[in-house]
Amino acid sequence: MRFSDFTSYDLILLAQGLGTNIALFLVTSLIGLLIGLSWALVRFYRVPVLAQIVTFLSELLKNSPVLVQLFLVFFGLPALLHIRVTPVTAATITLSANTAAFVYVIAVSAIEAIEREQVEAARVFGLTRWQVLRHIVAPQAAAFAVGPLVALMVNQLQVTSLISVIGVVDLTKIGHILNMRTLKPFVVWTAVGLLYYGAAKLVALLGERLETRLRAHSAWRGL
Amino acid sequence: MHFDLSILLPHLGFLARGAELTAAACALSLAGSVVLGALVAIARTSASALLRRIAFVYVDLFRNVPFIVQLFFFYYGLPEFGIYIDAFTTGVVALSIAGGAYASDTIRAGILAIDQGIIEAAEVSGLSRRKIFTRIVLPIALRTSVRPLGSVLINMILTSSILSTITLNELTGSAQIVVSQTYRPFEVYVVLLCAYAALTYLVSLAVTLLHRHLNRDMMEAVG
Repeated sequence: MRFSDFTSYDLILLAQGLGTNIALFLVTSLIGLLIGLSWALVRFYRVPVLAQIVTFLSELLKNSPVLVQLFLVFFGLPALLHIRVTPVTAATITLSANTAAFVYVIAVSAIEAIEREQVEAARVFGLTRWQVLRHIVAPQAAAFAVGPLVALMVNQLQVTSLISVIGVVDLTKIGHILNMRTLKPFVVWTAVGLLYYGAAKLVALLGERLETRLRAHSAWRGL
Repeated sequence: MHFDLSILLPHLGFLARGAELTAAACALSLAGSVVLGALVAIARTSASALLRRIAFVYVDLFRNVPFIVQLFFFYYGLPEFGIYIDAFTTGVVALSIAGGAYASDTIRAGILAIDQGIIEAAEVSGLSRRKIFTRIVLPIALRTSVRPLGSVLINMILTSSILSTITLNELTGSAQIVVSQTYRPFEVYVVLLCAYAALTYLVSLAVTLLHRHLNRDMMEAVG
């Protein structure tokens, strides 16, 4: 048997790679969502200095390549602070921060999409700032934000493929390994591409379902 | 822990040459993706269902597969068909095709936003279908989609950092070489991050100015 042929074990390798991508995607999306929302809270309460820092940070993260951010965390941080950073840790930190920057922008524009009169009316009725956020701003902003958030998630799933460059064995890295062993790039990269495509479609489908549920109250019900 | 930017001074010229390569790749890819995007937008708004279907499959596929996978597909896959092109050309082709998928969406939106009355007026004036498209529809569509095309360009500048993975020494690739010479990853990547952010910021300013200039007649109607 030649080692350059495809074996049935390659399918397991591909599945493991995809699993790595999806696991990292889920974890970093959740962390990113929490951080991004807390940044939006800082902006909502107009915390001095901190609000400006958060805006600057998110602009910087949004306008620089994820690859450079990955290199900064994986190669730069250990050199500066003399600490050990594993590829998975570096990938988690970078992707979470990157997701947070985009979540922040989406959350801020969703909050700003709500008319000021509503907030003012609620304040006149004696609601505290937290009650206004909890009962008036948050539910409406969530419905506004869910569409852009789903688009962001589909994008962030694809961004996870970059972690292969710093040595995380994800689907792209598996593709590289299979490519080097079998020397059949067309088959390998088509298979890898289709797996990513399927995962992205799945995320988009789930997001669509969530969106119709959140928007159910404002949907056209017929006469 | 020490942070010293002056070690970068002797390498600035080298980094600038990398930036030139990034700029060249992005300029060529922008031209390629606008041409491709316009053609695909024509197909997506055509009367033929088959053409619409093919164009949709192209856009859907290239938007949902990570760019790095597309790049490896072209870089390793094309030689299998006997097509030998260098890393720069491969990068430009891959960026154009990926960017074309995004550009086609914005141009299509521009075409669909055109007032039907303008097209009817052109038909009544006796212009041929080709003339109507190249002289009336496309200029209006391109003009109104300058801003979204600008964000396609900004995305392209950020994505072009991935070209460093196929041995192309553009800005990110040059920075990696500088790191291996100076052993100062943190300083190099922080500067690189800020350089990309500044570059995309300048591009977005230029796009806003261009958008204002091209649509100045519409501005007056609003203001």
